[in-house]
Amino acid sequence: MSIRHLWAVVRKEIQHILRDRGTFILVLVTPTVVLLLMTYALAVDIEHVSIALLDYDQSPMSRQFIQRITAGDDLDLYTAAGSMEEIEDLLVKGKIKAALIIDPDFSADLLSMRGLALQVVIDGTEPETGGFAVDHIGWRAEIFANQILSSQLRASGLAVESLQPIDLRIRAWYNPSLVPQVDLVPGLLSVVLGFPAFSVALTLAREHEHRTMEQLLATPITRIELLLGKIIPYILAGLLNVLVIPFFAMAWFNVPFHGSFLVFLLLSVIFLFAELSMGMVIGVFMRSQSAALALSFLVVMFPGFFLTGIFFPIASLPELARMESLFLPGTQYAIITRGVFLTGIGLDVLWPYAIMLIFLGLVFTGTAALFFRKKLA
Amino acid sequence: MNKEFLHLKHDWWLPAFMLFGGALELLMIGWATSRPITNLPLMIWDMDKTPASRNLVISIENTGTFELVEPATSMDMIKNQMDRGKINAAVIIPQGFAGEISASAGNPILQVILNGAESTPAREAQRAIEGVVWALGEKITIEKLGVNAEQFEGFDFSLRVWFNEALNEAYFTTPAELALMLEFTILIFAALTFSREREFGTLEQLLVMPFTSLEIIIGKSIPVILVGLFDFSIMLGVVHFAFHVPVRGSLPLIFGLAFIYTLVELGKGMAISVFSRSQHQSFLLVLMVGMVDFMFTGYAAPVESMPQIIQTLAKFIPAHHWLEILRGIILKGSTIMDILPNVLWLVILGTIIGFFSLRYIRKALD
Repeated sequence: MSIRHLWAVVRKEIQHILRDRGTFILVLVTPTVVLLLMTYALAVDIEHVSIALLDYDQSPMSRQFIQRITAGDDLDLYTAAGSMEEIEDLLVKGKIKAALIIDPDFSADLLSMRGLALQVVIDGTEPETGGFAVDHIGWRAEIFANQILSSQLRASGLAVESLQPIDLRIRAWYNPSLVPQVDLVPGLLSVVLGFPAFSVALTLAREHEHRTMEQLLATPITRIELLLGKIIPYILAGLLNVLVIPFFAMAWFNVPFHGSFLVFLLLSVIFLFAELSMGMVIGVFMRSQSAALALSFLVVMFPGFFLTGIFFPIASLPELARMESLFLPGTQYAIITRGVFLTGIGLDVLWPYAIMLIFLGLVFTGTAALFFRKKLA
Repeated sequence: MNKEFLHLKHDWWLPAFMLFGGALELLMIGWATSRPITNLPLMIWDMDKTPASRNLVISIENTGTFELVEPATSMDMIKNQMDRGKINAAVIIPQGFAGEISASAGNPILQVILNGAESTPAREAQRAIEGVVWALGEKITIEKLGVNAEQFEGFDFSLRVWFNEALNEAYFTTPAELALMLEFTILIFAALTFSREREFGTLEQLLVMPFTSLEIIIGKSIPVILVGLFDFSIMLGVVHFAFHVPVRGSLPLIFGLAFIYTLVELGKGMAISVFSRSQHQSFLLVLMVGMVDFMFTGYAAPVESMPQIIQTLAKFIPAHHWLEILRGIILKGSTIMDILPNVLWLVILGTIIGFFSLRYIRKALD
């Protein structure tokens, strides 16, 4: 491998990128812009869930309870319904996500300590929202019932401080209020920094599509030089985003950065090498840009989203998917970014993930070079 | 139009992806996203080591949310594993826990540490542990008060779920993924139509042929529409047969509205296509436009929880209405009257987008 040859390919590719100004700007800004958009789309705290009420009890106690339920920002009272039919209609039309039905025995049951005469109906098409309503209604009901019962018990001479004797002390490390964007932004880095891999796949497929690959190979440049020369400009484009995104994360989304920036930079270069090599493999196999694009979506984009543990814990995945996730550079990088941003760990802990990334990068590059040779021979 | 199909024949990978890629992806995503959160690694540090503490551990294990890892023997061990992201939560049962429970004025303390670096599993872990502890607390109080436990039913209210009785995650995720997948399929293939010609310099050849610009546009559109609707049928089949999601509404209504939605996205995709200098550029533009749409659809988070300004903007995003329509018809069996506002919005937006894209494309071609 000669540096001169490599540089020639890099220069050609950069010239090519620069000639098409629109594409050049897009390659540079896409990761950061998409990261911002996705964070806004995904890091939403559920609140203002519309609910309806149907109060069969109509007692002072049920009215007091209703007031408690709708006191916060979490649940909004859409309407006090008159009948079950009305609730059904509202659910079908999507006007409410949940309905609370207070049985006629509500106050009687509560005062005689028999339990809670409540029913909650939720719209199962959005279980997240419905589950949120259930949790919050349940939580308020529990507190309400506790207060009523302890005052009852006190009145009858039994001493209880609270009906919940266990003092549960929950703390969350690294992200004390469990703000979703704090772990989402570092996680999404592994998705958006994968976008240059699409560009690598496209630019290699483009040489096939335009039948310019043969010309390139007639030059004294070796295949591995050609492949590396193709990905270096995109590694640089990715690195530019690596430099910018932490500042956005800290200033805009209040994500802490506890680790070392140098370690982050170094591991990001290794990740880009591994991830972009995946794009290289696709580009070598596909003869047209559209096919390269479709395959990139299938093997880079969607697994990168769903199997790297960003949205969905890897532990809960089925065995096969858990195996696959190990071979995705994004899985290793998501652990690295979370570690560097939130936990503040350094290379002493992160080195096995770095080794895995280098290994994956070499395997992908090797595969690409091997098949590249066979296909053109 | 014939030419478009001919182009497809040369490269068999592309038609294969066009026709089945969407369904394959949906199968993969649906499979990964339609399951509850389970098996979260949890570390327990039981300093008490009494029957009461062991019972608590068993109750936590029985929730099914956790997979217990090797028990901790020190705080350092918990910190070490938490730092490495190996565990999602840790429960610390202090010495004397059982004693405090049985003492009449006892104050049993239970410490829980969540790994905030993964907030979704952390919240799930919190929910599960709180549930166990509340149930246990209730039991203890009842025992202490000497109230007849049989008579006391506890504070669990009855819960009924409509449209998705078993709270199957697939009901929620797959119809939405189907909606998004149709959008991306159409956008990408529409966006590549003209940019490919432009990149190869064949657009000029096409324009000097005796076709009007409208004929060229229609010729280019038909394959995209056919592929889009074919993909949609297969994907709907995947949703129904592979994920067992019932289709409760009318099929003709679904397909009719899918056709309208296809036209809307086609207009957008072709406008991008005419605008772009290369396929690469049109792809990057689709990615951006698609992400903006994704943000407003309400797939990941309910739109009503977003700021008012975003809720207003969402009304002007066709994908937002399409998602509501599809969820409504598939899961709730909505009739056209139930979803009329969404349908009207979709038609109005479609007309506006279609009109302007057509004008823009024709102007660019002429």
